[in-house]
Amino acid sequence: MATSRSLPLAIFHILVSLADQERHGYAIMQDVHARTDGQLRLGPGTLYGSIKRLLHDGLIEELDERPDPENDDVRRRYYRITPRGRKAAIEEASRLAKLLRQARASGLAPKTV
Amino acid sequence: MRWRERVYRALLRCYPAEFRDEYAREMLQTFHDGWRAEPARRLWIDLLADVFLTAPKEHLNVLLQDLRYTVRMMWKAPAFTAAVVLTVALGIGANTAIFSFVYAVMLRPLPFAEPQRLMQVNEKNDKLNLPNFSASVLNYLSWSEQTQTFDRLGAVSFASFNLSGQGEPEQFTGNRISPSLMPLLGIQPVVGRAFLDGEDKPGSAPVAMVSEGLWRRRFGADLSLVGRNVTLNGVDCTVVGIAPAPLALLTGGEIWMPLTIDPGREMRLNHVISVFGRLKPGITPRQAQAEMDTIATRVGQQYPEVKDWGIRLLTMTDAFVSPQLRTGLLVLLGAVGCVLLIACANIANLLLARASARQREIAIRTAMGASRPRLLRQLLVESLTLSLVGGVVGMIGAVWAVRGINAVLPPNLLPIPDVSVDAVVLLFAFGITVLTGALFGIAPAWQAAKEDLNAMLKQAARSTGSSRPRLRNVLAAAELALATVLLVAAGLLVQTLFELQRVKLGFRPADLLTFQLSLPSGKYAGAKGPAFYQELLESLRTVPGIRAAGVSSGIPFGAGNYTTTPVTTVGKSVVPPDTAIPTDWRIVSPGFFRAMEVPLLRGRDFTDGDTRTAPPVMIVSQATAQKFWGSDDPIGRVIKQLGPDGLSWTVVGVVGDVRSTALVRESPAMYLPLASRVWPVMDIVVRVDRGPESVLPSIRQRVHQLDPELPMATVRTMDQWVSNTAAQPRLNAILLAVFAGVALLIAAVGTYGVLAYTVSQRTREIGLRLALGAPRRRVLRLVIREGMTMGVVGIAAGLVTAVAVSQVLSSLVFGVPVRDPATFVAVAVVLTLVSLAACAVPALRASRVDPMVSLREE
Repeated sequence: MATSRSLPLAIFHILVSLADQERHGYAIMQDVHARTDGQLRLGPGTLYGSIKRLLHDGLIEELDERPDPENDDVRRRYYRITPRGRKAAIEEASRLAKLLRQARASGLAPKTV
Repeated sequence: MRWRERVYRALLRCYPAEFRDEYAREMLQTFHDGWRAEPARRLWIDLLADVFLTAPKEHLNVLLQDLRYTVRMMWKAPAFTAAVVLTVALGIGANTAIFSFVYAVMLRPLPFAEPQRLMQVNEKNDKLNLPNFSASVLNYLSWSEQTQTFDRLGAVSFASFNLSGQGEPEQFTGNRISPSLMPLLGIQPVVGRAFLDGEDKPGSAPVAMVSEGLWRRRFGADLSLVGRNVTLNGVDCTVVGIAPAPLALLTGGEIWMPLTIDPGREMRLNHVISVFGRLKPGITPRQAQAEMDTIATRVGQQYPEVKDWGIRLLTMTDAFVSPQLRTGLLVLLGAVGCVLLIACANIANLLLARASARQREIAIRTAMGASRPRLLRQLLVESLTLSLVGGVVGMIGAVWAVRGINAVLPPNLLPIPDVSVDAVVLLFAFGITVLTGALFGIAPAWQAAKEDLNAMLKQAARSTGSSRPRLRNVLAAAELALATVLLVAAGLLVQTLFELQRVKLGFRPADLLTFQLSLPSGKYAGAKGPAFYQELLESLRTVPGIRAAGVSSGIPFGAGNYTTTPVTTVGKSVVPPDTAIPTDWRIVSPGFFRAMEVPLLRGRDFTDGDTRTAPPVMIVSQATAQKFWGSDDPIGRVIKQLGPDGLSWTVVGVVGDVRSTALVRESPAMYLPLASRVWPVMDIVVRVDRGPESVLPSIRQRVHQLDPELPMATVRTMDQWVSNTAAQPRLNAILLAVFAGVALLIAAVGTYGVLAYTVSQRTREIGLRLALGAPRRRVLRLVIREGMTMGVVGIAAGLVTAVAVSQVLSSLVFGVPVRDPATFVAVAVVLTLVSLAACAVPALRASRVDPMVSLREE
């Protein structure tokens, strides 16, 4: 699982969400929801299906279960991005950036945001 | 809140077990958290979409993983994989091939509108033991007037047409049909129109239809043929339409003209037409039969000469498929079913043996957390993959086999010409392939699922079987039982084949050339017909290389006219007075018996003096003479048709019996002289010195000299006719013998496999016994006894089953009783020897075990 092929949208979002901190599943969902201004909400099936694949491909890793700080009686599984996952996300980001540059050059996107 | 969670928990069941085990708790928690933040309706829609989009993907992932694993396993054990795939391919291939015939002949709907509403309306006469007889024209008219259950009735009669005027004259089989027939069947002409009501009235302008095949072949699919005139039997007819293929399928002809009915010239006892009818919507065949019974009684009261004749309705399938063909096909289907079951048992055994070998692997996978359902699924994926690969190979084989069988089948053996492996057949093949995989996969899977993990780990270290041999013994015994049934059936049919070849035909078929002529009735009216044949015979007899020649209305096994008519005798007889016996009758020329080499036993042959003005005479076959007069001299006795106007003849000769319609049936016959009467189509037989083909050009030339317009049709040797007749029994016997051979092979391999495995499992025990001083002979005896117990139980069960089902074969077997003790004993002996051989090899190996080696091995 690596470089030239583009990452599925849900996968990329999860990697972006985990880039700055460890999160549990529901936190990832909320983060994605917030960053897309409510446009994208990952359903539980999509979320954990993607997590399974990311784990299998070694792009993220699972941490020990620990209690949710907001809610003490629930134990949560936390996930962290791996160096390999970070590399894949960076590649995807630069691929998208390149695409955006090309779109700007051909007048499909505004020059500045 | 609770119910929402319960619903979502239920939805989670859509995911594979492994996925659920891993993530269900988290997903439920996420659902729980999400609920607080979102409006309910939106959430449910999103959730449903989420589940239905992602659950199949997870299942696919698991399946792909199982498949990858399976392919690796198959690759690692190529001999095992090849054995299973080949066994499945044999079983599925044979079943697919036979099923394509069963489907085409018995199951595929006939190409008519609502075929289930179509019936054939036959006559029957219980007193004369005629359960299925053609109808008479006058009865047909009475039925048409009176019936309320049929929409309408239509009639078909046989005819032969000489097409002349354009190119070589050619003779075609055809029919005369009532104009109601095509609308009744719900079929339309390809081009032009069908016959109109009124075109069947005497004196109306002659019209005809030709088959699509003939139109393409002879007229280059020329559309202008419709509306043009062609010359049929010397009469100019207007072609009004091109008939569709289903009409030819039903009637067997290539040219059709309207069936002209002139009631004034018909006899009520003259059974010459086939009648078909379409039931009114909602009427059952039973209701129609009840009504027709009433009508038959009424007609019988009105016309006493037909008071013994009833009506018998047949469904179209019954009309098309003879009971014998149906039985033959079903027996073959049963046989290939047995082969497949044997194959399943064998593969199940192989898998069980391998499952024992894989116990350790399975135990380890279980210990590492593979769930039981997951293991079961893995095992089922394995067996299904094996059976699908085998099934595909088998289906490809079946396509070839069906093509091959089609190529060697004589024409007209099957009522439906186009048999192929079509979509429905493939669907069937796919279905039984999956079923097969499930069947042979279920035993090992069940066995594996049942195993206790700890026991397995412990056992794996020691590698000895436990309850497994019992299941495997049962499977091997079942294989032997099925093989016994198949071998008995094959044995009976192979003997039938030999018996058929030993049947005395009553004539010598070698060096006989036959062909047909059809004299146009206009040109050869009255005495001109017999005169033509007389002249032809005289001419043929002068050709060098021709020893004798004769003419008949129907040669044995040929395409001529077979007519049976009930007759009685006058004066002293062994049958009660006025009892009629249905008897085949033929027209024959003087010299016909000499040409056929049918012995003249008493009296004289016909002469040229037996004309229509001379006293009416007849020659009877020995069987006919015996039926009427026992051992008394039949010469000078009189045979009489039924009815007040019935003709009568004096017997002047007795000839030997001839098998003429079926090898297995004696047909009492009577012969009338050619000079008194000519049938529209006549068979000519020519006995040649050698090589029938060499004199064919001279024969053509002689026919051409007499009438250049007259085509020679159906040129065959008598050997060809006879072998055509034997074709179906031969095919049955060969196919069953092949299937039985395959079954025997698989069963032998299976038995051997079970025993060899059992012995190898007991190497330690045997070594111990030997080490403790048991004589080798006793060890040998022990192993053989165990194996043979299983073998004898299987064979005995098979023999009992064979006795029970043998009655099914009774219509196919000839010359041997279906419970022929010799066959049963022979099969039992053969199979006992096979299982003994299968036991002997492992037993010998066991007795040669070096105690030290076997003990150390453990």
